[in-house]
Amino acid sequence: MRRVLLNTAAAATFVVMIFPVYWMVSTAFKPTKEIQAETPSLLPLRPTLQHFETAMAADGFWRFWANSLLVTAGAVLLALVVALLAAFAVSRMRWRGRGPFIVAVFAAQMAPWEALLVPMFIIARDTGLLDSLLMLTGVYFMITLPFTVVTLRGFLAAIPAELEEAALVDGCTRAEAFRRIVFPLLAPGLMATSLFGFITAWNEFAFVNVLIIKDEANRTLPVWLSSFRDVFGTDWGATMAAATLFALPALVLFLFLQRRVGVGMTAGAVKG
Amino acid sequence: MPRNLLKIALALPLLAACGTAQQPAASSAPSAAPAKLVVWIMDGSVTKDLLASFEKDYETAHPGIDLDLQIQAWDGIGERVTAALASTDAPDVIEVGNTQVAQYSASGGVRDLTSKVADLGGADWLPGLAQPGNIDGKQYGIPWYAANRVVVYNKELWGDTPVPKTRAEWLAATAKLNKGGNQGIYLTGQTWYALAGFIWDEGGDLAVKRGESWAGALDTPEALAGMAFYRELQALGKGPKDADEANPPQHEVFAQGKVAQIIAVPGIAARVLEVEPGMKDKIGYFTIPGKTADKPGAVFTGGSDLIIPEASRHPEAAYEVVKALAGEKFQTDLAKAMSFVPNRTSLAGVLAGDEGTAAMAAGAANGRATPNTPAWAAVEATAVIKQYMTAVLTGGDPAAEAAKVSKTITETLNSGS
Amino acid sequence: MSTRRANLWPYLLIAPAVAAGVFLLLYPLLKAAVLSVQHFRMGELIRGGAEFVGLANYRELLAKTEFWEVLLRTAVWTVINVGLIVALGTGVGLMLARLGRRARLLLMSALALAWATPVIAATTIFQWLFQSELGIVNWLLGTRGFAWFADPVATFAVLVVLVVWQSIPFVALTLYAGLTTIPAELYESARIDGGTSRQIFWKITFPVLRPLFALITSLEVIWVAKCFPQIWVLSQGGPDGATTTLPVYAFKVARVLHRYDLGSAVAMLTVLVLAAALVANLRRMLRQEAAQ
Repeated sequence: MRRVLLNTAAAATFVVMIFPVYWMVSTAFKPTKEIQAETPSLLPLRPTLQHFETAMAADGFWRFWANSLLVTAGAVLLALVVALLAAFAVSRMRWRGRGPFIVAVFAAQMAPWEALLVPMFIIARDTGLLDSLLMLTGVYFMITLPFTVVTLRGFLAAIPAELEEAALVDGCTRAEAFRRIVFPLLAPGLMATSLFGFITAWNEFAFVNVLIIKDEANRTLPVWLSSFRDVFGTDWGATMAAATLFALPALVLFLFLQRRVGVGMTAGAVKG
Repeated sequence: MPRNLLKIALALPLLAACGTAQQPAASSAPSAAPAKLVVWIMDGSVTKDLLASFEKDYETAHPGIDLDLQIQAWDGIGERVTAALASTDAPDVIEVGNTQVAQYSASGGVRDLTSKVADLGGADWLPGLAQPGNIDGKQYGIPWYAANRVVVYNKELWGDTPVPKTRAEWLAATAKLNKGGNQGIYLTGQTWYALAGFIWDEGGDLAVKRGESWAGALDTPEALAGMAFYRELQALGKGPKDADEANPPQHEVFAQGKVAQIIAVPGIAARVLEVEPGMKDKIGYFTIPGKTADKPGAVFTGGSDLIIPEASRHPEAAYEVVKALAGEKFQTDLAKAMSFVPNRTSLAGVLAGDEGTAAMAAGAANGRATPNTPAWAAVEATAVIKQYMTAVLTGGDPAAEAAKVSKTITETLNSGS
Repeated sequence: MSTRRANLWPYLLIAPAVAAGVFLLLYPLLKAAVLSVQHFRMGELIRGGAEFVGLANYRELLAKTEFWEVLLRTAVWTVINVGLIVALGTGVGLMLARLGRRARLLLMSALALAWATPVIAATTIFQWLFQSELGIVNWLLGTRGFAWFADPVATFAVLVVLVVWQSIPFVALTLYAGLTTIPAELYESARIDGGTSRQIFWKITFPVLRPLFALITSLEVIWVAKCFPQIWVLSQGGPDGATTTLPVYAFKVARVLHRYDLGSAVAMLTVLVLAAALVANLRRMLRQEAAQ
């Protein structure tokens, strides 16, 4: 009985969560005339690929994908590495200034990024880094760093040090112990933080808009996403098609990551 | 730039954090190597074909110039243009809307082209484009193109109803058509350009200048009369009261074939046909009727100006591009391709052939601009007029709502930039 | 338990993070703070030469009665949203832990998709769903013609639904990740000892997850308070200012006028307000660290 209740609740949650996404995808397949029809239809009556063609035929489409992937992957990976180091120091070691450090990292989440647009612009202008993907990567890295540090530290703290000690006793080096024991157990934390970092950087528009100005080749995907609009209004079919394509990588990343979470769980159970 | 002594006195760390003064870009001597000129054109201003042919012709006529025509998306364009003007290597020519050009011109980031006005044939520029680009007597923005609204109607639904020439006729015809599952007119609650026209017809305005300061004027009897007429007209259809004409795009609604008329620029016909090619011979146009038959309804002159940033590294070459874009040949091509009004009244003859552009040209004679102050862009961006309209149309007290929005407009316009 | 290391290691490990923080956060933040006490508009950004004006910008902000209304409204907005997000998100997270593998994967994918949907696309979808004439919600409820976005409370409600919908995945997925670190044996022994679900939640799950809870709640408070694009696209802060929260207000009085000085001042005030709201949490963290 409880199983039935649980599954029903899960199904209801699924429908509620997926419905707007479903609407977005089905709009992408509806011809424009159908999108504004008087009676809204749940299924596209005459599905078309025209909007996807429009979206993908946009100028610079493939280059924007490459730029976005580069910048996002760069920012996320850098944040993971730097955060892991810091999280290790905070959760496994005792040192003076540890408390203030973690509080500072936490407080950094409150950073008013929208107000930092102008200062960042001025810094980029004065250092000649306007139109540079490097500066953009740096900004995204900084935006995701605090959350990543705090979360990884929480997950690290939950992994008892005895596990590492046991591995060392068994003859592993410190690095091996980390890789074989701690890392798999850290997987859920890595999943949460990389997904968060990815989505944050992938979707960011305001900074791209003011930091990448003349060099069109360096623009990223969010600019493409908002480009299906002119003085008469937005081409919603193309925008939804673009949004669908835009959301896919996060889904792919999630599916890839959550496999690792499963692995981590069983490893932990065996060790426990 | 002289450093602020107080800043230095405060503290060294603060000194590092102070915004550094920007050196104005030195105008460069014409270089021998091919100069790459970047031109920013708004999405939807020019057809791809016309852009391509212009680029080809210009580069052939000016060897040594490589023209990079970049199409700009509308989202975030305000921030992007500001960033461009503030950068050290800006695009050489930028297209900006005529309601935006004033704020950029006042910022000091745009080149003063007063000395070139005669060269560009500025004597008969459309005032609605030239005025906003003129700050304190100096011309910064060069008029590029204009468009104003007409009534676009569905010939099939209209049948043999005569085209109205006065407001009274207009209301009567629309009421007649508003039945049987069809809409007499699809006019959303927030189409404020249309409201502006009706207010101007009554002799009112959106804001008036009193000495050095501005005051919102939507609470005057004239403006209220304009709103009352809007309300009457809007009720003859099912336009959503809480949306503007782009949400949903009204051409998509019109293309369903059940709407008798919309208020739009003639160029919208191309978009209607994209959605429903079957509407091909069913689209008609007439000038927005005024209160009496001898004068067309006042219309908002929308359009664009061209500016040259101070931070452009090729100002002379940039000027040549502006001259070409504002010149007779391109203006004629542009007007024909996009159904736009050319920037000079002497070129208006170009529009004669087409029904839509002829209706538009007739209306352009009574074209008006929004209040000529840099802060007006902020009034538009905060959508206060749109919200006022929705409030009145959904039952709010017109006088009270008008007083509120006028006060907000007054505050915004006098906030200074 | 802690590991004793040579004194330098911890500092070396945190060095990259600290360096990044100083150059990419602290420095711009200081610049923003300086901006807030200057006369800094589009002209100053382009030409330079900003004048120091002391606290004039702050005085201008705090003098408007509207500011305090906006502050209160932001507080209400934040409490309602965060309450719903944390409650519902926790429920979904717990649900995820109990589901069978395939069902869990399906639900997690739905959550990931909802989270990954671009904000503007999501906002537009909601605009369509609640459209007065063509929207599916009015069609389902039979209230065709009801203008959701002309009514202050209705608009507020739609925005709450939108924000909560898109924020639940983060809470659910992160909590679920945290739940996977609790060894199964703890649950088993608790059940063998005869614990009910409620007891198990409050006695086992919650204490282990408490730091994660605190983190997530604090983050949601920050993000909801600073939420802007959805509100602006949907209602522009209306109708009649009913959905004008702090960031919307900042946009209306500062960004549209290119008054970067005022915008910076609002941002600084926002940080102060958030810090005040979260001070309890920050204090607790400091104490926890000292105790460990």
